[in-house]
Amino acid sequence: MDDVRKLRNIGISAHIDSGKTTLTERILYYTKRIFAMHEVRGKDGVGATMDSMELEKERGITISSAATYCEWGGHRINIIDTPGHVDFTIEVERALRVLDGAILILCAVGGVQSQSLTVDRQMNRYKVPRIAFVNKCDRSGADPYRVVDQLRERLGHNPVLMQIPIGLEGDFRGVVDLVRMKAVYFDGPHGEEVRVEDIPAELLEEAEKRREDMLDAASMFSDELTEAVLEDHVTEDLIHDAVRSGTLSLRMTPVFVGSAYKNIGVQPALDAVVHYLPSPPDVPVHALDPDHDEREIPLQCTPDGPTVALAFKLEVTPYGQLTYVRIYQGSVGKGDDLYIIRSGKKIKVGRLVRMHADEMEDISRAYAGDIVALFGVECYSGDTFTDGRVNYTMSSMFVPEPVISLALSPRDKKAQDNMSKALGRFAREDPTFRTHVDRESGETIISGMGELHLEVYVERMRREFNAEVTTGMPQVAYRESLTKRADFDYTHKKQTGGAGQYGRVAGFIEPSREGTFEFVNQVKGGAIPTEFIPAVEKGFRSCMEKGLLVEFPVVGMKVTVNDGQAHSVDSSERAFLAAAVGAFGQAYPKAGPVILEPIMKIAVETPSEFQGTVMSSINQRRGLIMSSTEDGTFSTIEAEVPLAEMFGYATTLRSLTQGKAEFTMEFSRYAKVPEAVAEELKSRKRRK
Amino acid sequence: MDSFISVSPLKILEKSSRKGLGKGNLGVLIARAGVGKTACLVHIALDKLFRKERLVHVSLEEGPEKVTAYYNVMVSDLVKALNLEDEAEIRWIIDRNRMILAYLNRSFSMERLERSLTSLVDNLDFAPETLIVDGLDFESADREIIERFKDLAGRCDVEIWFSALSHRHITETNERGIPYPCERFDDLFSLIIRLDPDPTGVFLRLLKDYDAPVAPGMAVRLDPNTFLALD
Repeated sequence: MDDVRKLRNIGISAHIDSGKTTLTERILYYTKRIFAMHEVRGKDGVGATMDSMELEKERGITISSAATYCEWGGHRINIIDTPGHVDFTIEVERALRVLDGAILILCAVGGVQSQSLTVDRQMNRYKVPRIAFVNKCDRSGADPYRVVDQLRERLGHNPVLMQIPIGLEGDFRGVVDLVRMKAVYFDGPHGEEVRVEDIPAELLEEAEKRREDMLDAASMFSDELTEAVLEDHVTEDLIHDAVRSGTLSLRMTPVFVGSAYKNIGVQPALDAVVHYLPSPPDVPVHALDPDHDEREIPLQCTPDGPTVALAFKLEVTPYGQLTYVRIYQGSVGKGDDLYIIRSGKKIKVGRLVRMHADEMEDISRAYAGDIVALFGVECYSGDTFTDGRVNYTMSSMFVPEPVISLALSPRDKKAQDNMSKALGRFAREDPTFRTHVDRESGETIISGMGELHLEVYVERMRREFNAEVTTGMPQVAYRESLTKRADFDYTHKKQTGGAGQYGRVAGFIEPSREGTFEFVNQVKGGAIPTEFIPAVEKGFRSCMEKGLLVEFPVVGMKVTVNDGQAHSVDSSERAFLAAAVGAFGQAYPKAGPVILEPIMKIAVETPSEFQGTVMSSINQRRGLIMSSTEDGTFSTIEAEVPLAEMFGYATTLRSLTQGKAEFTMEFSRYAKVPEAVAEELKSRKRRK
Repeated sequence: MDSFISVSPLKILEKSSRKGLGKGNLGVLIARAGVGKTACLVHIALDKLFRKERLVHVSLEEGPEKVTAYYNVMVSDLVKALNLEDEAEIRWIIDRNRMILAYLNRSFSMERLERSLTSLVDNLDFAPETLIVDGLDFESADREIIERFKDLAGRCDVEIWFSALSHRHITETNERGIPYPCERFDDLFSLIIRLDPDPTGVFLRLLKDYDAPVAPGMAVRLDPNTFLALD
């Protein structure tokens, strides 16, 4: 087994179109995992290796996190390529869950854009140490120094330049390494020959100043380096150790510059991954013990302990299901028995592979810290595997509730069968993607986090599963809720021959603070016999599925039952369940029911000249603008907008801004709909 | 929110001759770094917002997330101090009536500010009554920019509050007793207040009150943690 300290599990996370797929491709080329390079929107029709799905190739975006493996400087590196669009954030979140470090790519022209803010927030949530790579320094308008300022101002990082560019825009030709104080150039047809020279005279003063800044910043994390700076005997190792320490504590972000497309600066970024990003044992990991109130159990990144591994990504291949796992403790080998904690099911590891995008390499055993893939294992994404010696589960991932749904109708019987297969697969792969059949209409409904999220699955259904479907209009996931307390006192009585039914319940319903269902039993003296109380609770709970206003699910209701009556012969669970349903019907209209709608937080990034136009477009969509930030020639407008008003906004925004603006959107909260909208929803319901 | 004034640092304005700043006028709050300028400015803003007056918070140093965080902390402190029940309603009022305009990386200019204000009125029908300007560099500001703000206050019928950073080691004042860095253009400001830390608390002192004489000891003592008035 190789030294786990020489292993890096990293993600490459960035704004869409900032060049992460190109960077990954270059990394794989320099680490000799591939022997030719292509562009993302390749003129050669081949596409970059990490974009394994046909759809991704066509759109020039990366949807799935394909894992790949390479070696550099005596270190093994697992790279998870993460998607950049906010509608696929569950993919990003999952990838971040299993990563130890990341390269945050920023565009030297566009800088820190709205998507970078979202991705950075996600990295903070999972405490992922990162290095920054300011890409596209060869482009017109490139200004890496401005991007460093933005990292500080907009993302709150402590960015430290480890290099400065030699030339910029069309003249960009290399980097000055501030650790070695050397100029580095990249020769050969694909930049594979690294040439190290003296720093050009015109850049020497600037380089010395920037090195001093870098040493000042790094000294904060090493007394030894501080001493060495004072005594003028700074070594490269001292700098590396200090920068590594600052990076691991998330108090420093070393910044590198380059142009992946022009093959400049990629190899030093790989060196930085090795020098500054953590190895698996550097990152403390905890599992939960479900047998002891989910107590946190620290895991040891050693091959000897009981095995604990997490399935973080499923992929369907022509040969069966491929399950990407991160091994946190112990080891996994071919032929081993593993247990799925969720189901208790035992599985046998048939094939164990190391993935390189679409290609795979069989291995016999993998150890704690590593990311590998299992073949032919039936499980769900997010499942924890153990070897049976412990019953731990990895902490559950944050999974938001879907906010939008779409009705699907298959074209024919074949499409129906294929659609069912596809939906089952997607639901297993992506916890934010849900599917169900509407009981009334019989239609298949899919739900997710945004229009694009669902659109991509519909397209995947067509392309990968040959399921031709037609889609209805997107539907917003409205909810109903109460605004005040209302009393009930309801008797369910039925006597139509045979055994009768009798149950009386009294109490009140009110809004619950937590937004969930709460049931409080305050019945005294056995007015309702104890054995019927669960039926009362069940009856009220069933009413949450469909409110009486417009039949949307009810959220945030607290039920308190404080009195009732039973009959020695005619009372039954069924009678009390019916009594609870009747009581809900009696109290709900008096409880000030309202309709709630999902409110999305959006950030529109636009050239400042369109600021007014964009504000107006948001205002017309019942949006509430919270702020506008100007930075350079760009403005970022943040607002809250009802999801119902956001359909088609991408197209509108493009036409309003000559395609120069873009936006991100994430769920914020539920809020009461205005009266006019409520009336429209009610009349729509009446028309049905 | 009538109880707000009982704990608000704005009590100091109640002591001024016109009980406040008033439209068309400029006011400035002077303090050293870390003493609580932004917190006090946010209290001034909250007073306006609780009256459901529209306000624009112009930030020249921090992004909107940090500015919003300041407001959230201040509101939480107020809710605790005044034992208020409907925090959600208070936040709703704030969100409806406040707009944050941030200018990062030296991207501020009067032209940009005016263009944004015009855009707010034209596109959102959002005409502010108060501007809070936090982070203007008074040390390098020339008289012209303050005059342009004064002109803006008159034309747009708004009152404008600024924060100004002072330094411990620069102690000189002008002949009217106005300290650095506002001594060069104090004539353009109607109200000037200073935040002074002291072993017994933080004091908000009135230094200029229009043309009225300022009585010595015109001050309000604040809790150094919440910046709410203690006396």
